[in-house]
Amino acid sequence: MGIGLVLLGMRLRWRTTVVVVAAALVTGIAAGLPLFSATGIWEELAGGAPQWVTRRGPVGIIDLLGKAFAENRLMTLFILTLPAVGMAERYGLQEEAGRLIRRVRAATVGRLLVVYQIFRILHGALGIRLNGHPSFVRPLIAPMALGVTTGGIRTEKVKSAAAAAENYGNFYGQNLSPVQAGILLVFGVMQGLGIQLSVWDLVRHTLPIVGFSLLLAGLQFWWLDRQLRRNGGE
Amino acid sequence: MMERLFSLETVYAMTGIVLLLFGIMTWRDRSNPRRQGSAIFWLILGLIFIFGGIMPHWVTGILVLVMVAIDGAGRVGRSSLAERETVERVSRGARIFWPVLVIPVVTVIAALLFRRFGMDGNRGALVGLGFGGVVAMLVALKVTSGLRFAGMLAMIDEGRLLNEAMGAVNILPQLLASLGVIFTSAGVGDLIASGVRQLVPGDQLFLLVVANCLGMALFTIVMGNSFAAFPVIASGVLVPLLIRPFGPDGVDPALAAIVTLTAGSSGTLMTPMAANFNIVPAALLNLRDQYGVIRFQFPFALALWSFHVVWLWWCIRATAP
Repeated sequence: MGIGLVLLGMRLRWRTTVVVVAAALVTGIAAGLPLFSATGIWEELAGGAPQWVTRRGPVGIIDLLGKAFAENRLMTLFILTLPAVGMAERYGLQEEAGRLIRRVRAATVGRLLVVYQIFRILHGALGIRLNGHPSFVRPLIAPMALGVTTGGIRTEKVKSAAAAAENYGNFYGQNLSPVQAGILLVFGVMQGLGIQLSVWDLVRHTLPIVGFSLLLAGLQFWWLDRQLRRNGGE
Repeated sequence: MMERLFSLETVYAMTGIVLLLFGIMTWRDRSNPRRQGSAIFWLILGLIFIFGGIMPHWVTGILVLVMVAIDGAGRVGRSSLAERETVERVSRGARIFWPVLVIPVVTVIAALLFRRFGMDGNRGALVGLGFGGVVAMLVALKVTSGLRFAGMLAMIDEGRLLNEAMGAVNILPQLLASLGVIFTSAGVGDLIASGVRQLVPGDQLFLLVVANCLGMALFTIVMGNSFAAFPVIASGVLVPLLIRPFGPDGVDPALAAIVTLTAGSSGTLMTPMAANFNIVPAALLNLRDQYGVIRFQFPFALALWSFHVVWLWWCIRATAP
């Protein structure tokens, strides 16, 4: 039922936070858990209050939620890095990164995009969170890629490929840092399920996945180059 | 003493203090149309960070409900100051990368030191991230406005604007992990597991791996977020059907867990529900076809998903007794 609610809520475009908490509450109630454990001030109420509010024995849903939320504070630790990152951005971090990228002299669209994907993987590995679509792809990578092509026949495809390179690099590269959200989510969820993992092992096992994603993307971008060459010749 | 100073609770308390400062700055920012709701949201999160370890859990639970209610009512917003121009009085050159590079360096050093002294390397990385953030602040001040109090306030304010720009979704991983815990307590995982067991007769390894990765991708496609799918699949398929039956000698749990997560990333590449990654960029780039990015990513996502299935299956087969 909770899962059903998650699916319904996402379809109706509720706020994700609301969907998640509603799903937690509904699932707990459906499983017959009370709202509060019979501890602290709730202990005295346990006899008189309705069964679904509190009763002796089972752990309450709100208690579970609070405990899990407090134990998973580690996932939001990156807040502590925001002042330094914000300051660096205000003083031109992205402009400087853009300058670095612009120095790349790529002969073809495909090579440029592979370089950009590696650049984004490195971002992820350094623990930098960034949505590169507005900051790099639109102002920098897409125009550079279009500049390398001669014919204007496949601009749609070249632009789509630039956006894809951002996603490929971002999604898989971020798991190379032990303090990024993906690794911490896996670590925290598995810990909740009683399995203690090492964040460094998670990073280690990400390497082959990143390697293969780079290889596949390389193939796709090489194919794109081939198509562009053929069209350009006509 | 040293143990107390370099503990996770210290890092949580520092994060909490930063959040409280963010909250105060948001409250005073008249350019944010929702400044009060936003400020209360970040102040509550700050309190949970500082006192989460000692507050009764039900109090934390209620505070979480209040935060989500504020967000649900649309009262968490951002400042319009975020669009200010970059300050580029003097170009800092490559030095501007230092603050950002310091964070991973301190993280890794802390993890190595913790391990050297026989402590938990996981905790080392997290404590390192915390202290790395503080060292990065000092470095950032040094290369920009200099180590002055006014500069420090300006820097916290920059962090605050960045935090507001990301918004309430910042707490989403933390909430999703909590959802996973509740799903487990309520027995949702067992329910899914018994459903999958009926579909996959005789516990065939390859089919179980397919069920795991397919479930992850499908859930991600529907929800638009692999982080939301992971707690469900981990408690319903990955742990009860793969990790527990095959044991730690048969399945490397770290490998299985991370492969499961990124099997979901293939789903993210294929779904319009992940609008930030697939639909918004199409608009940013003025594509005629709003699904152009998804169309390009589709064959890549399918191929990489297949790699996940084969890779996980092969790794388990190689080690399972």
